[in-house]
Amino acid sequence: MLTVIVTGLAIGMLYASIALVYNVMFSTSKVLSVTTGHLSMVGGVFGAYIISVLQMHWLWGLLGAVLAGAAFGWLTDVLAIRRVLARSDEHLWLLSTLALATMVQQAVGLWWGTEPKPFPRLITQEFGAGLMDQKFWLPIGMAIVMAIGLEFFYRKTMYGKVFIAMSEDAFAARARGVSTDKIRLLSYVLSGALGGLAGFAAGQLTFAFFALGHTLTLLGFIALAVGGLGSNIGALIGGAALGLLNSFASYYFGGEYQQTIAVGLLMVVLLIKPEGLLGAKNVRPV
Amino acid sequence: MLRLTKLAVRLSLATALVVSATSALAAETIKIGWLSSLTGALSSAAIAENQGVQLAVEEINKSGGILGRQIELLTRDTAGDPTKAVNFAQQLAFSDKVHFVIGPVNSGEGLAAVPILARAGVPNLVIGAIDELIDPVKYPRAFRVINTNRQWISTANDYAIKVLKKSKVAVIADTSGYGTASAKTAIELLEKAGVKPVYSVLVDNNKTDLTDEMNKARAAGADVVMPWTAATGMLGRLLNARGEIGWNVPVVGHPAIMAAQIRQLLNKPEYWQNAYAAGYLSTTYGSDGKLPERTQQLVDKIRPKLGGGEIDVLFWWVAMGYDTVKIIEHAIKTAGSTDAAALQKVLENTRDYRGVYATYTWTATERNGFPDSNMAVNPANTFKDGSFRLAPR
Amino acid sequence: MNSQTTKTLSLIVGAILIATLPFWAGDQYQLHLAALIAVYWILIAGLNLVVGFTGQLSIGHVGLLSIGSYTFAILAGKMGVDPTLSVFVSGLLGGLCGLALGLPSLRLPGFYFAMATMAFSMIVNEIVLAQVDLTGGGIGLPGPMFPKPFESPIGFYYLVTAIALFVTWLTWNIARRMWGRAFISIRDNPVAAQAVGVPVFKAKLLAFVFSGITAGVSGAVFASLQSYITPDTFVFELSMFFFVCIIIGGRGSIIGPFFGTVVLTALPELVSPLAKLGNFFYGLLLLVVVLVVPEGIGRMFEIISERLRPRTVHREPITPDLNRLAKALKVRE
Repeated sequence: MLTVIVTGLAIGMLYASIALVYNVMFSTSKVLSVTTGHLSMVGGVFGAYIISVLQMHWLWGLLGAVLAGAAFGWLTDVLAIRRVLARSDEHLWLLSTLALATMVQQAVGLWWGTEPKPFPRLITQEFGAGLMDQKFWLPIGMAIVMAIGLEFFYRKTMYGKVFIAMSEDAFAARARGVSTDKIRLLSYVLSGALGGLAGFAAGQLTFAFFALGHTLTLLGFIALAVGGLGSNIGALIGGAALGLLNSFASYYFGGEYQQTIAVGLLMVVLLIKPEGLLGAKNVRPV
Repeated sequence: MLRLTKLAVRLSLATALVVSATSALAAETIKIGWLSSLTGALSSAAIAENQGVQLAVEEINKSGGILGRQIELLTRDTAGDPTKAVNFAQQLAFSDKVHFVIGPVNSGEGLAAVPILARAGVPNLVIGAIDELIDPVKYPRAFRVINTNRQWISTANDYAIKVLKKSKVAVIADTSGYGTASAKTAIELLEKAGVKPVYSVLVDNNKTDLTDEMNKARAAGADVVMPWTAATGMLGRLLNARGEIGWNVPVVGHPAIMAAQIRQLLNKPEYWQNAYAAGYLSTTYGSDGKLPERTQQLVDKIRPKLGGGEIDVLFWWVAMGYDTVKIIEHAIKTAGSTDAAALQKVLENTRDYRGVYATYTWTATERNGFPDSNMAVNPANTFKDGSFRLAPR
Repeated sequence: MNSQTTKTLSLIVGAILIATLPFWAGDQYQLHLAALIAVYWILIAGLNLVVGFTGQLSIGHVGLLSIGSYTFAILAGKMGVDPTLSVFVSGLLGGLCGLALGLPSLRLPGFYFAMATMAFSMIVNEIVLAQVDLTGGGIGLPGPMFPKPFESPIGFYYLVTAIALFVTWLTWNIARRMWGRAFISIRDNPVAAQAVGVPVFKAKLLAFVFSGITAGVSGAVFASLQSYITPDTFVFELSMFFFVCIIIGGRGSIIGPFFGTVVLTALPELVSPLAKLGNFFYGLLLLVVVLVVPEGIGRMFEIISERLRPRTVHREPITPDLNRLAKALKVRE
């Protein structure tokens, strides 16, 4: 029973981290990018590559994963977001991010191979450690560290406050001299780095596999929707709920209906409370 | 003027003759279609098989071809997509008008493509294991080269029940086409042998941890675990889970258990102990430590093409690919032509054709050519240079 | 020759080409390809109303295709129901599932809706794999043939072409008239549309259910064309493919996505090295089109033809009739 809870929590925290990444992206650009799940995939794959193939210390792997994620985030903004937001057509960014996500997934698949490859051990630890195994507490710890870090970032640092300003009213921020393009780029780079970090931490759970992207995008999004768009605590709660639900459902009903149950949760929440548990009601000026 | 024109006419006639002659000769290549999933799922098997196929084609072409005609190999990468497999099968059969088709590799692709080839009357060498791919009535020109899935399953079952003397079986398979079909067949064959499985489950092969399933199997009292999945990721996790919960139960099942990739997926090398997989005598080291002669010959021939060092793929894939082309050579030579009906007759009457991978026998009513006698069980961690040792009886 | 005549002429020529295709196609493989294009087009024509006109970005339509295919295979194959009736039932079921999916999700904003459709396709895949007794699970089901004269490749080609033409005519009519304008207004500015009295939700739902019906029908003939369906056939990448056909063809037009379908289906077959890059190529194409010509390649042709042969704008200078004006003013006073 405890295994079920811990496994669920661990994978749930990966989803929560992805939800946090969504939040960072959304705050400055009001865009929910399809590439979010792929950031984690890239982090995991590059981390595995640097540590296993290039045989370097795991700190380099961590750095590599973060840089790869940041680069991908930068690419997302430059290619998929910047030009598209300039034209006011609402949903083109969905198409452009979907296109970029597919391209990156296929490119990684061609380079890394289509089989899931193992993610190396980061800290020497006995494999029989059971529930205290690092593959469980690494993602949990990482999600909590990220959430705390983001709260600190938003409250105490200047850039954080600028992010909040942009998310409240982009025009007003620009009128006050904030370079919205540069801040948006920064937020994408930051979210990319965070995504890569999350993928790196959860690598031992998911294995380094090129096709993780779409599933993680969807499940991270469900965590976000359940917890509420814009709320970091909500992201953690949503992720935990989704992970635990998945875990319990596969334990009791077998793994065959995993996605169905996850989406069932999404639909229920969206029907009852569309803005999520802790989200703000979306008021739009007409 | 007239002289020049006459000369011109004669010259052009001559050129035309030569050109038509050469093009007629060139048009006489023997076209073999090769439907291979070189990218996508099961690509490692397809890539290894491709090595065997290409070596055989090169060899035959260098020694003059079949009946004086060169072989033209048309490779089509289906990428694991049944729709592509269907499209390429159509293309090979109707557009390229091939004389023979090898493949597809995946069961899902095979199920879609084999009927198309049958409808077009193109002889087809099947290399997918799933039972439904062969039917002497529906697909009269489809002949299977690989063993059947039943052969894998009954070999493993025999070993678990008769040699290891276990009676409480846990069957774990993946949710893919192959997994669901195999789980069904495995349970059916076990029950026929008088053993009812104590636990059986289908798992998504991307599931991150199989500790739950192993715990449940243990709780149900299983004394042997039999996995039926070709997904090395899932098998790695299964063996890891077994090790981590400290349950020393034997694992007997699909050949992928002994694939070289598993070694890297295991948390500890010891986790590969007490694991056995269905394999073949043709890729098993004898008690004298030597491979069967024909296998060794092929290993030596192909080693430079695989990088020159130790072979790190399952060698039977390579051997099987090689054999398919050799079977085509045999069929065309014996029939004396590439007429499809004649080829069908020849193959139906093939008895004990000796290949590297196996010795094949087909009849008018039996399209599965792989002999039971070539089946064996190998311990997983005895992988060396592509082949294995024999499991203790 | 003005544009109206050129359009009609090219339509007639196109119709003749399509009708006589089996005779100039070359071999059965190309006929198969043509039939595949027709089958895809049945679905894409319906999806075009949802994505191209109403602007609802559904990336999960492969789920509806799957439902249509399996319904047909189970009814006509396993249960021996008449294939024509089965096609109707597949379409109906597709529509019902479209309704079931659309009711909760169409109220959601863009990204949420896209994710909901993606999740739907994943659920369908899971259920198909899990219900082994019904769908054959991973092994799949054989796709039954139609009765004579449609079981031969040529007969089948005519069958699917006829269905495709019918669906095209339907969508063209919808697009031209009231509902088409309603859809476009919803895509471009939902708030203004609502303010003007367009029943936004009802319209979205209508488009979506229609696309479900066409997807169901398409799935049925797809199963017959492929002669065997497995869950591996219905992957997310197929949804992407449909989507890209519409976007590169140009949203808001019927003929654009048709050309998109033709090009994207035929291209990987003609350029075999491209087949390996397959999905990467689709992603790249989508990205390029979105960044450079978001209105689609059709629009690009329009831009080029404008440059080469600019439309002459008739100038009608208005010169006021001063006398009449003066008289009118005098009358006023």
